[in-house]
Amino acid sequence: MAHLREVAIAGVGLTHFDVYDGDRGRLFKEGYELGMEAVLNALQDAGMEWGDIQAAFCGSVYQNTGSGHQALDQIGMTGIPIINVENACSSGASAFRLAYQSVATGLYDIALAFGYEKMPRGFIRSTAWPLWQRYMGFNVQPAAYAKESVRYAEETGATEEDFARVTVKNRKNGSLNPNARFQKEVTLEEVLSSRMIAKPMRLLHCCPLADGGAAAILCSKGKRKSKGKKVTVAASVLCSGVYGSLTGGSGTAISSVRIHNDLVELSAKEAWEKSGCGPEDMDVVEAYDTMAPGELWDLEKLGLCKKGEAPGLLKTGALNIDGRIPVNTDGGLMSRGHPLGATALAQIIEIYKQLRGEAGARQVPGGPKVGLAHSMGAGPNSAVTILKR
Amino acid sequence: MGGDELAHQSAKEVASRSMRQIPIKEGLWTVASSPEEKPRLIGSRCLRCGEVYFPSKAYGICVNCQSRDIENAALSRNGKIYSFTVVMQRPPEYYKGPVPYAEGIVELPEGVRLQTLFTDCNFDDLKVGMDVELVIEKLHEDEEGNEVIAYKFRPATRSKGGAD
Repeated sequence: MAHLREVAIAGVGLTHFDVYDGDRGRLFKEGYELGMEAVLNALQDAGMEWGDIQAAFCGSVYQNTGSGHQALDQIGMTGIPIINVENACSSGASAFRLAYQSVATGLYDIALAFGYEKMPRGFIRSTAWPLWQRYMGFNVQPAAYAKESVRYAEETGATEEDFARVTVKNRKNGSLNPNARFQKEVTLEEVLSSRMIAKPMRLLHCCPLADGGAAAILCSKGKRKSKGKKVTVAASVLCSGVYGSLTGGSGTAISSVRIHNDLVELSAKEAWEKSGCGPEDMDVVEAYDTMAPGELWDLEKLGLCKKGEAPGLLKTGALNIDGRIPVNTDGGLMSRGHPLGATALAQIIEIYKQLRGEAGARQVPGGPKVGLAHSMGAGPNSAVTILKR
Repeated sequence: MGGDELAHQSAKEVASRSMRQIPIKEGLWTVASSPEEKPRLIGSRCLRCGEVYFPSKAYGICVNCQSRDIENAALSRNGKIYSFTVVMQRPPEYYKGPVPYAEGIVELPEGVRLQTLFTDCNFDDLKVGMDVELVIEKLHEDEEGNEVIAYKFRPATRSKGGAD
């Protein structure tokens, strides 16, 4: 394989994640405006001009043709390639990976990864299922996670309270994140008495919808202009499905009885190999909490603890901001909300801010040096990004 | 019985039955030729690696080992619940049956897991490992008043089920 160059993050940008529908006093914004806003914020953070960007990769799911073009047309067309990436909930991480590889391989020195979404209301609509299965009622996203939760509880003894504690922790972290849609804490009782959606998943186990944008500018050595600590990409991995893996949120993923593979484990293994790091090196983690219990098995599959150990770590505070393995310090999907194209980039941006010491009230103490962001997507997809300073 | 034969029989039997019953998709299950015979789901078995699939593989490719040496197989009518959920909120599109509804994953002795609806049960009684059996029944009525039928599983009834 070709020698890969060092890739640093030059700057990042986020919008406030919210509902921009213009109803009940809320602001109205078009989706592409959110993308544009995130890109402008990233340029400012990087201390760069738009003319510095040599290639752009945009993640989105519901934004029609040319989502990246729609957003960047408002900043200026400069003849650079704009590639639009749809990879379900891991679209943002997939755009990040493309920007990373284009700089790592030497094709460009400065590349932009961004993503945005203005979400349709209601259950996340997945058209990944064959039509007849949609008529059978098989395509309900919380139901896919509910079935994985039932298996997890069966195999580890985890309880509904364990699931609810994920929401409580993440909403507490989210209360310290000015970009999150929900900045209000919830109690265990509130989670456990919220409306049942797909047994045993209740409303407050589900991440909220949100509209928003996120952007990161990547560059080769010597091209960084911003002050502050340098953060480099130690690994950017995407695995899109493996036979024998049961993967929540995906229509066709029913695991084999005889053949056992796991997509998350596979992507984590590749990330450890590429980065030269191990799970024990992680100072801060963004796990995939689209549904609360997912965070628990995610940590286990990533190798941050053994199977069945995550609920205990959560209960004893080890996953808190000041704990041994701080997880979802920005409140995760549970507080940020879930604009599909932006979500995975927002996770990566949180790790970047934590490593730079720029996370404000939710800063992990002790100067974290290495962090990991993991996102899943229907298809299925599993993306692992490791950043280092 | 070979795969083509099974599929052919399935299509023929459906056509000869009441016009008012329409399967949600052709070729998912066999249709009985006599009242004593019970329908079975039609899956695929790879003759090289042994993996079993449901629904059958329409393009004849084993997605585990990529072999083309694959044949249709009538699957057992009885299995065990691997996982399940009860959906409490009506999906925004497509599904037109009653709500709440129970769906989940059933494991059959051939070594295949499949997604299914559950019927004829108290949702609170569903458990991982529960013995269940196949039924073909109404899913919903379409706009022309036809009964659209689908496969579902229900708790196994020892008295009714008999040898399988």
